[in-house]
Amino acid sequence: MQPRTFHTFTRRLHIHLGLLLLLFVWLFSLSGLLLNHGSWKFASFWDQRRESKIDIAVPLSALTDPNPEARVMEFLKISGEVQQQKRTAETLEFRVQSPGIVTDVSIDLTTGSGTEKVMKYNVWGKWRTLHTFNGMNKENPSQSPNWLVTNIWRFTMDGIAIGLIITCLSSWIMWYNVRKEYKLGYSILAASLGVAGYFLFWN
Amino acid sequence: MKKYYSLVRALHLYFGLFISPFVLIFSISVLVLNHTAYFNRLRPGKEGPPVQKHIAGFQPQLSDSLTAKSILHSLDLSGEIDWISKTDTTFSFPVNKPGVTNWISLNTKTSVASITRHDEGMLKGMTYLHMMPGQHNAQMRGNSVFMKAWRVATDVFVYFVLFVSASGVFLWYFLRPERKLGIYSLGFGLAFLVFLLMLLF
Repeated sequence: MQPRTFHTFTRRLHIHLGLLLLLFVWLFSLSGLLLNHGSWKFASFWDQRRESKIDIAVPLSALTDPNPEARVMEFLKISGEVQQQKRTAETLEFRVQSPGIVTDVSIDLTTGSGTEKVMKYNVWGKWRTLHTFNGMNKENPSQSPNWLVTNIWRFTMDGIAIGLIITCLSSWIMWYNVRKEYKLGYSILAASLGVAGYFLFWN
Repeated sequence: MKKYYSLVRALHLYFGLFISPFVLIFSISVLVLNHTAYFNRLRPGKEGPPVQKHIAGFQPQLSDSLTAKSILHSLDLSGEIDWISKTDTTFSFPVNKPGVTNWISLNTKTSVASITRHDEGMLKGMTYLHMMPGQHNAQMRGNSVFMKAWRVATDVFVYFVLFVSASGVFLWYFLRPERKLGIYSLGFGLAFLVFLLMLLF
């Protein structure tokens, strides 16, 4: 590729990738601020969560299924990422999570009766959850997300991250092409690499 | 508006260069956070053998946080104290730096501290930075100078990202040849985001 063609390609890639990612960048930037400033009153969500608890009766046939969580969710018409499964001889417990909604299900395996506790966040809570919702289990990293939507969101986050890496690298190339007009770029890039390196390698 | 073009272009370039290493840290860490098992296999954590050290004249301080800091000072260690747990005979806490955790457990009867170093590497260090200061344990968070500085740095980073992205839109608006394709890019991004939000909610 000719240098001029490469320069034009890099510039166009930078512009259009940036525009494509713009709203996602704003979504994650602002939710990052919310996560780091939990004390901001206007965005409080925990105190304003809505909780409800109802008694449920699940058909026993659902509980003898090889995947009882899926059958119970189908019966209760709930969907989301299944977590914290606990099964004993008498009870089945699990949590279903989607952004802003946490449902805890507890069922007596002998009778099919149980409870469904639902916790719903306000819009700020939902926004915060979007930032961290990747279905990964810190205690068991080998466990993959089990909800299709989680996987779609997770791979979208991957795509955004790769897009931002490309945007960054293209910005370096674009600056390098005009470095004589923007000489301050050397100092700024060196300073920012130094600051980032300080934080990353502070050992 | 066009009279500001040169100024905005220079600011976009300089601020963009400044945030670029941080964008790389946050972006790479997203990949590590989303594919933890893969990166764990790629670079497993290394745990060193426990090292025993006697702390001469150990005295509990007014608060647990101060006690932990005093232990760190005696052991010549530094870092962000994550959380503290106590029993009748032990005082334990992990101390984090990006990619490195030192687990400290002090026997309060014998004043002997056991230190176990867990090294997780640079990529995990990036995820640590990504998640800090974060939403959890807000009362403890920011007990080291490092974390106080990082808290400010992340805020500054976000405000610069907002400025760089907004100024990017401003610059694009004046590039007539790129306008049509730009509208498609922006529109596709919006449509995809709306589609995802409809799926999620």
